[in-house]
Amino acid sequence: MEAPQYVAARVQRALAEDERTHELGIRVDVRGGQLFLRGQVTCDERRLLIADVAGEAAPGLTVRNEVTVTEVRGPGEGERL
Amino acid sequence: MRGLRIAAVGDIHLDESLGGRYRKQLDDIEEHADVLLLAGDLTRHGTLEEARVVADEFRDLPVPVVAVLGNHDHHSDHPAEIAAMLSDVGIRVLHDEATVLGIGGVRLGVVGGKGFGGGYAGKCASDFGEPEIKAFVGHTKRIAERWRTALKELEADRRVVLSHYSPVKDTLTGEPLEIYPFLGSYLLAEAVDAEGADLVVHGHAHAGTEKGVTPGGIRVRNVALPVLRRAYGVYYL
Repeated sequence: MEAPQYVAARVQRALAEDERTHELGIRVDVRGGQLFLRGQVTCDERRLLIADVAGEAAPGLTVRNEVTVTEVRGPGEGERL
Repeated sequence: MRGLRIAAVGDIHLDESLGGRYRKQLDDIEEHADVLLLAGDLTRHGTLEEARVVADEFRDLPVPVVAVLGNHDHHSDHPAEIAAMLSDVGIRVLHDEATVLGIGGVRLGVVGGKGFGGGYAGKCASDFGEPEIKAFVGHTKRIAERWRTALKELEADRRVVLSHYSPVKDTLTGEPLEIYPFLGSYLLAEAVDAEGADLVVHGHAHAGTEKGVTPGGIRVRNVALPVLRRAYGVYYL
C-alpha cells in the first residue's frame, strides 16, 4: 500500500498544478483511509472543484471536504500606527 | 501634516465567476481611505480574461489605486500585458520602482514590486552551486537592490513599501515552517530597513497572521484576503 504521505503530497501538487484549482493554500491529510482537505476559498464552486481534483488524485479514499467559503466583509476598523 | 489612511488587500484571486462581487465592498472606500494598495495575486491563473475582471473591479474608484503583481499573476506568462490592462484603467502598477501620490498636500511615496522568496536570515538559500539555485537567489537579490535604490531616491513625506512576498517571518505565523523560503526573503526587509519606511504591506501567505515588524522596527502587515477576512485593511499613518 502506498504510504499516506506520498498520497497527500500528490494531492497537494494536483491542487496547485491542476488548472481547475491552482490552489496553493489547501492543507491535505490522509488519515484512516480518508482524505481531509482544509483551507479557505472565496466561493462554493472553488470548494467543490478542490474536492473533485483531490479525489481524482487519490482514488479509493473518502474525501472529507472541510474547506470553508469566506465572504468578503466590509473594511471594519482601521489601525493607527 | 495631515494623517493618511492607507487601505490595502492582496490575494483576491479574481476570475470570471467573481466579477462584481468585490466591487460592492469598494463603493464607499473614500469614507475609509485615501489610497488603495493591491498586494498581488489579483488573478487565479494570470490570464488576460481574469485581468479584465480585476481592471473592471478597481477602475474609476474615488481614491488612487497602486498595485503589484503576484506569482499567480505570472502563471500564464503575461505579466506585462496584465500590468498594461490595469494601467489602462488608471491603476499604477509598480515593478520594483516608486510612485509618489499627492494626497491633501501630503506626498505619499509607495515603493514596491512582486518581491520573491529565498528564506530568512540564517536559514535561507545562498547564491551558490547550481545555476538554478543562483537564478532563484539572484532574482531576490536584484529585486532587493532595486527597492533599496528606489527608497534611497524617494522624496516623500510618508513612505510605504508594497510587496507580494513577505519580508519577515512574523507575518507567516500559521504557515508551515518548511515552506517559509517560498513565502519571502529577509533580503527585502534588509533593503527597507537600510533606507527607511513607515509601513510594509504584503500578501502571499494565506495562512499567516496580519501583524509583524522588521528587524529594524518598521511595521509589516500581511493583507492577504484570507488573513484579513475583510475587503481591505486600513492603516493610519
